[in-house]
Amino acid sequence: MTTATPASAIAIRRRRTPATPYLLLLPAVLILLVGLGYPVYWQVVTSLQQYGMMQQFGAPPTFAGLDNYARIFSDDRLWAVVGRSIVFCLVNAFLTVAIGLGLALLMKAVHSAVRITMQVVLLLAWATPLVAAVTVFRWLFDYRSGVVNWLLVQIGLDQYQGYAWLAQPLTFFLVATLVIVWMSVPFVAMSLYAGLTQVSEEVLEAARLDGASPRQILRHILLPLVRPVLAIVLLLQIIWDLRVFAQIRLLQDGGAPVSETNLLGNFIYELGIGSQDFSGAAAVSIFVLLLTVLLAAPYVRSLMKEDAA
Amino acid sequence: MKRTRVVATGVATSLTLALALAACAPADEGGSGDTGGTPEAGDITLWLAGSDTSDELRQYLVDTFAEENPGSTLTIEEQDWTDLVTKLTTALPDAANTPDVVEIGNTQAPTFTYAGAFREISPELYEELGGDKLLQSFVEAGSIDDTKYALPYYYGSRYMFYRKDIWTKAGLEVPKTLEEFGDSVKKLQSKKQSGFAIGGQDWRNGISWVFANGGELAVKDGDQWTSTLSDPNTVKGLEQWQDVFEGASNLPPTAKDEAYWDFLNDGTDGEAPDGATIMAPGWARWSLGDMTKNDKGEEVRDGMADDSKFDIFALPGVDGGVAPVFAGGSNMAVSAKSQHPELADNLLRIIYSDEYQTMLAKAGLGPANSDFDKLMTVDEDGNPNKFGEVTVETAQASKLTPAAPGWAAVEGALVYEELFQKIAEGGDVTAIAKEYDAKLTPMLNGQAG
Amino acid sequence: MSAATETVRPPAAVAPREVRPPARRPRPRVGKILLGVLGIVVSLLWVFPVYWMLLSAVTPNARLKASTPSFLPTHFTLANFTSVIGDSGFGGALRMSLMITGVTIVLVLAFAFLAALAISRWRFRGRTSFVLAVLFIQMLPAEGLFIAQYKMLSTVGESTPVLGLNSVLGISVLYTAMLVPFTIWMLRGFVAGIPAELEEAAMVDGLSRTKAFLRITFPLLAPGLVASGVYAFLQAWNEFTTALVILPAEDRQTLPIWLRSFLSASANRGIDWAEVMAASTLIAVPVIVFFLFVQGRMTSGLVSGAVKG
Repeated sequence: MTTATPASAIAIRRRRTPATPYLLLLPAVLILLVGLGYPVYWQVVTSLQQYGMMQQFGAPPTFAGLDNYARIFSDDRLWAVVGRSIVFCLVNAFLTVAIGLGLALLMKAVHSAVRITMQVVLLLAWATPLVAAVTVFRWLFDYRSGVVNWLLVQIGLDQYQGYAWLAQPLTFFLVATLVIVWMSVPFVAMSLYAGLTQVSEEVLEAARLDGASPRQILRHILLPLVRPVLAIVLLLQIIWDLRVFAQIRLLQDGGAPVSETNLLGNFIYELGIGSQDFSGAAAVSIFVLLLTVLLAAPYVRSLMKEDAA
Repeated sequence: MKRTRVVATGVATSLTLALALAACAPADEGGSGDTGGTPEAGDITLWLAGSDTSDELRQYLVDTFAEENPGSTLTIEEQDWTDLVTKLTTALPDAANTPDVVEIGNTQAPTFTYAGAFREISPELYEELGGDKLLQSFVEAGSIDDTKYALPYYYGSRYMFYRKDIWTKAGLEVPKTLEEFGDSVKKLQSKKQSGFAIGGQDWRNGISWVFANGGELAVKDGDQWTSTLSDPNTVKGLEQWQDVFEGASNLPPTAKDEAYWDFLNDGTDGEAPDGATIMAPGWARWSLGDMTKNDKGEEVRDGMADDSKFDIFALPGVDGGVAPVFAGGSNMAVSAKSQHPELADNLLRIIYSDEYQTMLAKAGLGPANSDFDKLMTVDEDGNPNKFGEVTVETAQASKLTPAAPGWAAVEGALVYEELFQKIAEGGDVTAIAKEYDAKLTPMLNGQAG
Repeated sequence: MSAATETVRPPAAVAPREVRPPARRPRPRVGKILLGVLGIVVSLLWVFPVYWMLLSAVTPNARLKASTPSFLPTHFTLANFTSVIGDSGFGGALRMSLMITGVTIVLVLAFAFLAALAISRWRFRGRTSFVLAVLFIQMLPAEGLFIAQYKMLSTVGESTPVLGLNSVLGISVLYTAMLVPFTIWMLRGFVAGIPAELEEAAMVDGLSRTKAFLRITFPLLAPGLVASGVYAFLQAWNEFTTALVILPAEDRQTLPIWLRSFLSASANRGIDWAEVMAASTLIAVPVIVFFLFVQGRMTSGLVSGAVKG
């Protein structure tokens, strides 16, 4: 029975403004400054300079102000890529979180043997190196020897004989979504499951005793309690899916229309590693950062409200 | 107000670029090739790309280097092809950690050469290493005007692999001209079998048609590169390729150059092959043939042992002879920031020595020095090696992609893949060529803007 | 005082335990069985690509692109594994990856956990700024950072080789900095999901703050720590670009770089995909081992008796 008065506990905290939180923060802050401080600073500065191979090999970089940004924004490919990336990102993120939540709830509801099986399977999917995963999917959807086409033909859909999934943007992104969701769901499912297990058994039992149906328990107890974790994984999925690169590139290597399937990640890669236009790549990176902040704005706003409360 | 700032930036930028170019230009450092006295003992590093150079060759380099440079050692590190450019971009400018000598792809050499990554090779050293006997197209890839920075290391070539049994059955012989080739493969075309299995995005093979018709992809005028896809010869070549693709290949326009041998081989259960002819680099041979077991008992393809089924020929030129094809291969260069330039030059002397060039040729790697080409055409027992013969034949006529500073960017952005895909889809070649010329010319010249 | 703390059991668990009815109903519900079946079906579907990878790893390369796909290993061979393990790079790469990932995980979990505690359990000045900063750092694409990272370590390495290029510590610092922001976010969500009242109740019963935390909150956080830990492990384990430039020496590469070498065709052969699959399988194994180990430790020892019946 919790008879402790939260008010008095909090009152004590407020009066003291202890050094404890600062001390706890210190290691993280230090490592961030040491490990990321210079690279992030360099990225911002380079986006305002003219920096390419010449500069990498010794020529002094010149200040270019916002020229890099102007150059990128006037590239008409950019907006198509941005639009595509946002749609792809949102579809994937929501799909991943929805399926992940479903699986997490499923894991909570089943017998422990089934649950462990599911966890091992999800972990196997999670642990598979990206190259192997994308290659397997490429093979499964290969136009000549792919299992998917073979299965479809077996069940009578002959038009899929030799069907090139990667050759059209829509079907390309279908395959890409399958790969990315397959790879991302394990993390979401495991995290949400972890969040669900934090809900103490007593609370659930009490609710059941009170006659609550499983649906009501789900809506009024479980979901609200995992909301923090849910919000975070959704946010993280959005951040990552907006920048996805390797999977798209590897699928494009299987033969796909390039400029219709390029996403923001490809754009950054092509500028940076592809053409050694490092200042352009830096500018696009900053742009993507701002874009992500924009997409995550509702979340950030609710975070601020929560903090102020 | 704004304009003056733009002008000022423009002036500042051009001044900086000019200064940078001046800095990159041949310096005064007493030139390489100065053999006055033995260099200080030191340890140098050679970065080799991929596993093409065998262990035997590597050991030779290490041992000979130690012998000829008492007190100094050579360490060889193998780097991966796929990300070599990234690694070189960070390592070469770093004097404390740079490799002294590096192997680099021939299509990547121009970008690094222009950026000033490499140490100049003096005219004297160049002559000593082989001079004009070295494969000139590769030398150009590593030069700025007449100053040389990266020299050819080895070359490979690409040619046609075909199913002799299928061609013979159709009453066809090895074609003598490019047009005859087109007609033959169109005749062999059927729904289940491509007469010539080539993907729509496969520009590395496709540009042979451009070269065969006397076309160029880009030319350099003074300091500027211009994309010349609209050149009438180039358009002619592209249209000819388009015709062959549409008439003889079942592959989608989005397919890239990949494992073509899967098309030429019989299926694993003996099914008929999906293609009668393919174009591939020389090493495709080891993935072609019938299924067999090697010494370790593993199942592999037999490397075209049955020459009534599998054989090769060089892509014929427009008027007979051999068509120029895109040559694969790599260059060697010394890092501009190397701490032991004289030792690095000594290593180059070993690499370009007669002994090493001979070893390269015997290993099936096209030697940089053309004097040793004929060693490729015979095997250990002195019997003619048809693969070596065709390699030498095609390599002599080979061409490279434009040695422009922005070429690596063009490849990284998959521009040519798209160009060929549009052509393969049946578009109007002249219009497409114009569109891509406009896109490519700035890319070819640019590094950062 | 110490005697009192030892005998006091977590109060929240005590009261309900006395009045709670038997936890399990006598007959298993049909719903649970159906859900169990669903779980198995989902697992089979999800594991299929992994199975395909394993299948390809035990098939000779020449038989991979068969016209009729075979779902069973009809041409079973271990040659791919022997050749891949025999490759001179494997042992060294495995060692490097283990060391780097090991150091990184420890640092990341420790620093991030402390920071997550600080921002969830205390209010202090600068909290919002820190939270926002961490959020924004995560949103910056990391692809463009490698140049600056290289320069930084190269410079540091001149005076302190143990932190420079080709060193385990150097790259671990970089990885820790890159992973801490995300981990702080994840853990913050989990910590936020555990009401502070639980600790306060324990404190009212006489436990010190730290003891209350260790006995009550920490065990509940275990699944969350596992999820975040596995994620951090995977990120460090599979990271490629930074490792590529920071560890240029051939004998200092990590597993992802080693895997890459199987993906480049050379003058003598095309890509041996069967070997790629075998290599990928080997890379996935340590992750599974790590997870099973951590999962076992976490759910058994720490959680016993605390809250769950």
